[in-house]
Amino acid sequence: MIPIRILNRKRAWAAVGRRFLTSHAAQNPLSPPPAAAAFPGHHGLPFLSHLSSRLARPSHAGAGFPSSEGVSIGNFELILIVLLCWRWKRRCFSGSAAAGLPEDGTVDVPLAQTGEGIAECELLQWFVKEGDEVDEFQPLCEVQSDKATIEITSRYKGRVSRMLYVPGDIVKVGETLLKMVVDESQAPVQSVDSQVPIKVSGNLDGELSSGADLNTTGSGGVLCTPAVRHLAKQYGISLSGIQGSGKSGRVLKEDILKYAAQKGIIESSGIPLGDQLQDELGSVQVIENPSDKKVTLRGFQRAMVKTMSMAAKVPHFYFVEDIKCDALVELKASFQKQTTDPGVKHTFLPLLIKALSSALSLYPLVNSSFNEDAMEVVLKGSHNIGIAMATPSGLVVPNIKNVQSLSILEITMELARLQQLALANKLSPEDITGGTVTLSNIGAIGGKFGSPLLNLPEVAIIAMGRIQKVPHFDEKGNVYPASIMTVNIGADHRVLDGATVARFCSEWKRLIEKPELFILQLR
Amino acid sequence: MGILRQSEKLGLPLMNLVRFKGMPILDQLKLEEKLLRTTSDNWCIVNDGADAPTIVMGVSGKPAELLELESVIGDNVPVIKRFTGGGTVIVDEGTIFVTLICNKDAVPKVQPYPRSIMSWSGKLYDEVFQGIGDFQLRENDYVFGNRKFGGNAQSITKDRWIHHTSFLWDYEDRNMTYLKLPSRAPEYRSARDHTEFVCRMREYLQRSAFIDKTIKALDNYFLVQPANPSEVSSCQVAKFAHSTRLLSKQELEDACSSTKPGTIAQSASI
Repeated sequence: MIPIRILNRKRAWAAVGRRFLTSHAAQNPLSPPPAAAAFPGHHGLPFLSHLSSRLARPSHAGAGFPSSEGVSIGNFELILIVLLCWRWKRRCFSGSAAAGLPEDGTVDVPLAQTGEGIAECELLQWFVKEGDEVDEFQPLCEVQSDKATIEITSRYKGRVSRMLYVPGDIVKVGETLLKMVVDESQAPVQSVDSQVPIKVSGNLDGELSSGADLNTTGSGGVLCTPAVRHLAKQYGISLSGIQGSGKSGRVLKEDILKYAAQKGIIESSGIPLGDQLQDELGSVQVIENPSDKKVTLRGFQRAMVKTMSMAAKVPHFYFVEDIKCDALVELKASFQKQTTDPGVKHTFLPLLIKALSSALSLYPLVNSSFNEDAMEVVLKGSHNIGIAMATPSGLVVPNIKNVQSLSILEITMELARLQQLALANKLSPEDITGGTVTLSNIGAIGGKFGSPLLNLPEVAIIAMGRIQKVPHFDEKGNVYPASIMTVNIGADHRVLDGATVARFCSEWKRLIEKPELFILQLR
Repeated sequence: MGILRQSEKLGLPLMNLVRFKGMPILDQLKLEEKLLRTTSDNWCIVNDGADAPTIVMGVSGKPAELLELESVIGDNVPVIKRFTGGGTVIVDEGTIFVTLICNKDAVPKVQPYPRSIMSWSGKLYDEVFQGIGDFQLRENDYVFGNRKFGGNAQSITKDRWIHHTSFLWDYEDRNMTYLKLPSRAPEYRSARDHTEFVCRMREYLQRSAFIDKTIKALDNYFLVQPANPSEVSSCQVAKFAHSTRLLSKQELEDACSSTKPGTIAQSASI
């Protein structure tokens, strides 16, 4: 689901280009563009705190790029990162690039999240006017939400170019409050660390640097990265004597190793793992000063710290199950083949969502919310199933209302509508509030399964891993390929016990593995 | 110096405690605003009763929507607009005020966001009202059961926040008639009028016991040290403009007239 959308978005980037990156990054310079974003940011969603997957733990709460600790990543992520580097060129990973500034340096400053569930605020007063120079962290305006007046401070140092609201106006969270001109040379402190560029393992043609230009100086103009140059120096090899096998005659690491092996400098089986790791780590270091950088959390990341902390206080337990998806795969293919409307794209999710709703009808406690202050559980009448989505501003969880009353086709349409709005960052407060249970299709990005944190005040969250083809045994002991999806249900142990969740999951699994059972529920 | 060493030892931040009795609410609010915006200390202000009945609206309150203006004007009830958000209350000597002004890092795990602060305050008062009534923080109010006895408001600045509460120790039923039923109300209010919605704290515990227990609960988070109220309230700060203000009679009359199309011409001629 999500990777397909991201790949589509890549094509959109090629057309829209920098403008898209600008508006995204300007909204939240701490969070990476959606392609690389996999984890909470928007609305401070607390879940997905750790994954037993290939993606490394983020180095800050905003789940930016994987850390610089030489984690190798898969092809899909590589494509995205390459695209990012290509689009951003030398400005990639510098402060101004993180802000995604267009040529004229204007950024949109949005009303950032001021608290869980607060979808809009009243603008009370401006502290600045058009044309004013403002410093980073200088108060820009005061807004009111419910019981609180809140000062909104500037993320940037720059000049106010246009204010889009007047006192008394109601501003939705995420909408642009004002536009500022930010000087590239005075890039905001809240930038992606220059060390964040990750080591890209050479799955693609040639070796990619993390955005640093290839060093063409020295050694008679041999093309190679600083890391390769360093490796050559380590072995005492002159680059001019090596035939580069990369693009345009670029000397790659493999060329150095091969040469060194030929010359008997190293064992031909390759360098030891430790040194290899050191190499990988070494290649991460960029030319810029590798000193520490403080990143103050703001907006969605800041809210996420709060909501994560609150969710972490809830005693979670996890129930993991494998679900056979062969029938599901076949059914989806059949829908796609039979569909008369080219605008409708059939995926697995609507079927999973409808099956979930059926299971919730039998186990309403899983579709409840817990109010600790009042010590009461509210069994929610509607199945408002939240679906995690990656957007320009981070992860959001819009929900489909009243799934119990919707057909699978209606769910498909509603899902598409919410996805479109999410990508355009135009979800309404109605879309993102009132959810009763959350589904996270993290497998679409990668990983076997996760250990999600609850989206309070819900009591259950379901993380679905990727559908993978694995060998299974039939009753006769023959091996056959089966499409298996691993799911991890996180549940609030104050409300749900293992038996309830296990039974609920069995019911959901039953419908997914035998979707013909839906017919029994037709009216 | 001795207190500083003790505080370092305990690892708790200092909090200055200022106690008043019968301080006019306008003076109290102005003091709070001054302490929030011009100092970098943590403060707890307790005002054991205001003076004459006074209406206090939130920063963006509209008199015409929230007040029965004819009786307010007719009875000369003062109306104040405070610097924090939230709703409208009418306070008098039966109202006890507790205000907390903190640096954003003062309380661990409390973020400078409305819900975070509100939630922490609920925990604080949980300790105060342990075993007393069926106390809880309900939406943004302090209630016994489903009846409100404490209302809250906040203001959050770059580095600090204020959370202040007016507690209904006691109140006059007829004073409540100056307030309209607000259009924005918590869900649990369920359209009840004032007398059905609020309750009196005096039915649950003594005035002094409440104040003592509150200070004791604060001891868990701060090193509370008393400050001299007259010194604090008389301290002048240059270049500070309050936003808390008393609405003029003219403003109230204009607001009242604006709700009645027929009398607009009349008020304009005054």
